[in-house]
Amino acid sequence: MEAVPSIERLSSQQALGQRQQTRRNVFIIAAMTFFAFVWLVPIVWTLALSLRPEHSITANLTLLLPLPFTAENYDFVFSSSRIPRWFVNSLIVATLRTFFQLMICSLAAYSFARVKFPFRQYVFYFVLIGLMVPGQATFIPVYLLFSNLKLLNSFPALILPGVASPFAVFLLVQFFKGIPIELEEAARLDGASRIGVYFRIFLPLSTPVLTALAIFTFLGTWNEYLWPLVAATDPEIMTITIGLNNLTATTYEANYGQTMAAAWTAGLPIVVFFFIFQKRIISGIQISSGIK
Amino acid sequence: MSFYKVTKCAPNRKILSHEAPEWLKCLRSVNRCNTIRLSDRQQDMRPAEAMAHLTIARRKPSVPRLTKMERQDALVGFLFIAPFIILYLIFSFLPILQGFWISLHNWDVIGTNIKFVGLRNYEILFGKDKLFWSSLEHTLFFAVLAGPGLIIVGLSLALMLNQRVRGIGIFRTIFYMPNILSVTVVGLVFARVFAPGERGFVNAVLDSLGVSMGSWFLDEASAMPTVAITKVWWSVGFNMLIFLAGLQDIPQTLYDAAKVDGGGRWALFRHVTLPGLRRPMLFVIVLQVIASVQVFPLIDVLTGGGPAGSTRPLVMYLFERSFDYWQLGYGSAIAFVLFIFLFSVSILQLWFFSRGEGD
Repeated sequence: MEAVPSIERLSSQQALGQRQQTRRNVFIIAAMTFFAFVWLVPIVWTLALSLRPEHSITANLTLLLPLPFTAENYDFVFSSSRIPRWFVNSLIVATLRTFFQLMICSLAAYSFARVKFPFRQYVFYFVLIGLMVPGQATFIPVYLLFSNLKLLNSFPALILPGVASPFAVFLLVQFFKGIPIELEEAARLDGASRIGVYFRIFLPLSTPVLTALAIFTFLGTWNEYLWPLVAATDPEIMTITIGLNNLTATTYEANYGQTMAAAWTAGLPIVVFFFIFQKRIISGIQISSGIK
Repeated sequence: MSFYKVTKCAPNRKILSHEAPEWLKCLRSVNRCNTIRLSDRQQDMRPAEAMAHLTIARRKPSVPRLTKMERQDALVGFLFIAPFIILYLIFSFLPILQGFWISLHNWDVIGTNIKFVGLRNYEILFGKDKLFWSSLEHTLFFAVLAGPGLIIVGLSLALMLNQRVRGIGIFRTIFYMPNILSVTVVGLVFARVFAPGERGFVNAVLDSLGVSMGSWFLDEASAMPTVAITKVWWSVGFNMLIFLAGLQDIPQTLYDAAKVDGGGRWALFRHVTLPGLRRPMLFVIVLQVIASVQVFPLIDVLTGGGPAGSTRPLVMYLFERSFDYWQLGYGSAIAFVLFIFLFSVSILQLWFFSRGEGD
């Protein structure tokens, strides 16, 4: 028979475990710091490049600090390229698409979750099919549609195709179903209309999920590649993701400082955006993946 | 003899027109608008016995018997989904059908030279289009290189981050951050990081260590692996978050129990952690497959499909056929093949996950 360990032995084992634990934590932190450094090097290095004069870059390529410091690359980017314009374009496209998507999809989701209308279940299944339709499979007909309407190179062409998102509807329906029906019934008894219930109960109560969705749609639109590549060929209407690629593919290639200034003019606002919203972004991913 | 008409119908609670025996209200086979007949003798029987002799008159509800409220709801319901459904039809659903229709034609973008050719485009595609098969190969190669990397690195990071150590959240932020950068920025940065010759960061570091330099994106042998490394840097943070969420859902009691049973660290990982991560793992793998098949932007900005077309993926081929050669019919055929494949993967995913729910 196995002996029952005495109290002292247990506690000394615990102390040993604690020491082991501390040693393990130190090891983990060290390993993490190393990986984090490797992860950050490309960003730090290219940010430093964007702030260094070209002759210094040639002399010492791998320096991770912006020394000697100069802002001339950014000056050049802002004064002699369309980057500010593209930036504004991206802002318009991403903001409007996010806004329309939230409105239209949440309204539809409310209807699917709470309003009883004929064939509701079948219409909902029909929408779910859309979850499995990749953008690459639809962009040729959509291109022809806008081409026929003479609307290529316009904001509607860039904004509209992503507005009706089956994923957004699906996510919001799940969320709306969790809102207690008593809240709605009480409001209805007090004379609120359906639209009133939607605006005054459902929208305010779903701020967290709406925010997460808004952030993803905004980022997704900002970073979208294939569709704007096809739909916006006029430099005046390009989004920054496409414009930047176009610009650097043609003119800047050899000049590291200017290229990186252009890249980070596009990238830094998104990084700042990320740091402001990082809690929501991270929890949003975990919510929408259905793992949590 | 008494008749009971069912006026309202909740799953286990029927409301009948007037006072009825309690057991009658719980019957499963009774629906709205049924009329139940009970003889006086049945009234006195035990429920089980009475049930055996039950007569249920089924009557179809007369068609337009919607209340005013229901009519209003029907209208409001359709109105609320209308904007969504219209946009959904125009930009998602109809394009699939139209895309298939276009793929049955020789279709120039100008629209003057449209000729119906039936399944000819598909015949050419599968029969003798070497570029199609090679682009499929490249796509697969990318998936095989990047997929395991993304999963192993993502899982390792998640395991290390899943510790109660103060300040560990900052690492989560750092590893996830590249994910939000646009593909163009990533492309510009990594074109410099892996630039050939002594103008690249990695090469400069290798050189100072006395290791020979590589040509990375410019060499057919190393181009795709370098793309895969970039992909891991760019998006492993997403997998990490998913795994982390999964790890946090595994109850601590399972670990404690396994420890009491004398399980070592490897045994814990093998028999508690991995089984506990089944759902996140499946989720990540499916997303990975879908994303790999769609890979295009990253390769476009890093190599443009080169050198010598050795990294051209399927979607790039689709794009080139459609918008460089303006063969929209042929391009649509490729797009439809892609659609069918991804659609099947999604159906499989649904099937897997709904099975998982049942456990």
